[in-house]
Amino acid sequence: MGREVGIVGVGQTHHSRRRTDVSQAGLVREAVNRALADAKLSMDEIDTVVVATGPVLFAAVNQPEKWVVDAIGAQGKSVVRVTSGGGAGFAGALAGYYQVAGGYSERTLVVAYDKLSEGQLQYSISTLYDPFWGREFAVGIMGFSAAYWRARMDVLGHTEEAAAMVSVKNRKNSIANPYAHVKKEVTVEDVLNSKPLCWPIKLLDVPPISDGAAAIVLANDKVAHHSTTRPAWIRGIAYCCEADNAPERSLMLSEPLAIAAKRVYRAAGITNPRRQFDVVELQEPYSCFELNYYESLGLCPPGEAAELVASGATQLDGDIPVNPSGGCMGANPIGAVGVIRLIEGATQVMGRNESHQIKGAKTALVQSGGGWANLRGCAVLSA
Amino acid sequence: MSMPRVGIVSTSMTQLRPAWDSAQHIDLISAVVLDVFKGTGLTLDDVDFIIDSGSDVLDGRSISNCGFLGALGAHHKEEARVEEDGLWAALYGVNKIRAGSSSVGLIVAYSKPSESRDIDLYWGSMVEPFYQRPVGFGQKAALGMQAQRYFAAHGIKDTDAAALVARRWAAAAEGGQVAIDAVPDADTVLASAEAAAPLTDLMISRPVDGAVAMLLSTEDIAVRLGRAPAIITGIGTSMETHAFSARSANQLESVAKAAAMAGAKAGWKPSEADVAEVSASSAVGELLVLEGLGLADAGKGLDAAMSDKVNRSGGALPADPLMATGLVRLAEAYRQLSQPHPGADAPRRAVVHGTGGVAMQTNCVFTLEV
Repeated sequence: MGREVGIVGVGQTHHSRRRTDVSQAGLVREAVNRALADAKLSMDEIDTVVVATGPVLFAAVNQPEKWVVDAIGAQGKSVVRVTSGGGAGFAGALAGYYQVAGGYSERTLVVAYDKLSEGQLQYSISTLYDPFWGREFAVGIMGFSAAYWRARMDVLGHTEEAAAMVSVKNRKNSIANPYAHVKKEVTVEDVLNSKPLCWPIKLLDVPPISDGAAAIVLANDKVAHHSTTRPAWIRGIAYCCEADNAPERSLMLSEPLAIAAKRVYRAAGITNPRRQFDVVELQEPYSCFELNYYESLGLCPPGEAAELVASGATQLDGDIPVNPSGGCMGANPIGAVGVIRLIEGATQVMGRNESHQIKGAKTALVQSGGGWANLRGCAVLSA
Repeated sequence: MSMPRVGIVSTSMTQLRPAWDSAQHIDLISAVVLDVFKGTGLTLDDVDFIIDSGSDVLDGRSISNCGFLGALGAHHKEEARVEEDGLWAALYGVNKIRAGSSSVGLIVAYSKPSESRDIDLYWGSMVEPFYQRPVGFGQKAALGMQAQRYFAAHGIKDTDAAALVARRWAAAAEGGQVAIDAVPDADTVLASAEAAAPLTDLMISRPVDGAVAMLLSTEDIAVRLGRAPAIITGIGTSMETHAFSARSANQLESVAKAAAMAGAKAGWKPSEADVAEVSASSAVGELLVLEGLGLADAGKGLDAAMSDKVNRSGGALPADPLMATGLVRLAEAYRQLSQPHPGADAPRRAVVHGTGGVAMQTNCVFTLEV
């Protein structure tokens, strides 16, 4: 069997709407330097590097890892880039996990970033659509996401208020996050009255667009202790997909996330997620998706996400706090978000989260996803 | 800690053509994904994961793998996109199986550069954007300078490069996997348009369309399937500095590093391989790879290149399906080891090489054994 793999060092940039003071390469370097310092390592002690970014069209540098390699001093090493849209960071971490678990390396650095101020985001996303059948009506990802929410309203009777509660919760939590750049408390009324973008999605249901990078150092059980006495061990990790235009695709539940969760929970010994997880970090590209994930991850029965968020259980002082970091609502450098969520989950079980440490957190659930709302994964971390 | 060894169960490849204008990406991909299972006893249900290589830039589509998940057979499975040559996708697949969480994986790489109006833009968008892009630095300029230095240092002539190119095209034509209208002789290679002095167009690898699929599994499954499995015994990869001017002249250090990594795991040196299947962006690039692998001393790559053990398939010069070329080399090496020509000395060890980036910035080496 493979090696045990732990997160032994983390680092992220102070994310912002527009970082004009650094290039993409400089942005990556900031996160890498912090992660290496946190792991008490130099680049010489890293065996392999995985770089992850959102789609190349986001920032118009093709295969940017080949440029970034110099800025992080990784010349000569095994360097490869993995991409998976919004879930790129998580997909990169998965690739890094298998490099360590499969014995290819002892220590792997995973760095993920996006510098979204340098490109045309929704234009780039529109090129996801099939060139023959999809681009006639392609308008970024928002219309597609609105369909998911509308389906919940029609079938489950969920309301705009339910998703607004997600936005209110996450925006409040992000105020204490030192790396977030949107820090403003809003009310449910504010969200409901904000500008409609693609109904039922409104401006305050949407996270910001950010420049940012995040890095983690993964190490096997043999060398992890050089960096920390309390690694965040990856007890299970998976990232699954559903085929592009499958007409049978469910808009209620994310099937690939449910499949990934089943696999990960089995590996990690999770039989009652609501009771066993101390904290959850989710990647919510729109507020409504957090509701979908509650159900797909088994935090509540199917169809009851609106009741879960309304109950307060996912608040900081609830029994299953979700996104104490503020999630994407505080900062959203898309390709980096999967690694940011892993960092926030890892530091919770390491007992040193910088936003809101959940007292006594031992087991964390981390979710990420991307593609055309069809690539979804999760991981279980514990100290 | 014992981890399973990983073997190749089967491979499938479309013909490599300058333009598959009657087929879309999904047609090329689904053709090889359907074919790769034939005769194996395995079906898509047995596949634990899919890893694919392709380029959003070449495809003109963001997260293009999302558009091809159905064709890849990935629905409800774990899928990953490596935006690098397919040999790196195979590397990922080997790690997944060795880690013990999976038994069978499907690796797919594809390319359709014919849909790009100007392939130089693909390369140009890869160079550093502030200082290199404005002056028009790109793949051809880099390969031309690389060749000039090599010629000057080792007394190699353009006629030598032309002879190598003609030999590769002839081998590819004989193999039948590459669509070739007319095999160019050395004079034709020399007479083709100038790409970047001293290289002519035909001395630079020809972009082609195509797809390749490969089933990997644990050794015990590969053996039980009753075919001749080939085992991947060593892997290494290394990326050089992006700054072309800061790279070592007349050597690809990253090839030597990758070869050393792979050789250390395999327990033998790539120079001891019976056959070699290597990628290259230019005729001189191929010589540099052979020298980096230790198949020839510095400046002597041409002797190795003209030997019978190197690139029996024709290599990348006549057919370079960008992002799939290295996986094609692995498939070709597997074929040579598992189905040796009758009467020939059966090869038992192969070294396989893939590359990526401007002037071959990153390189990957596999060792394969039967």
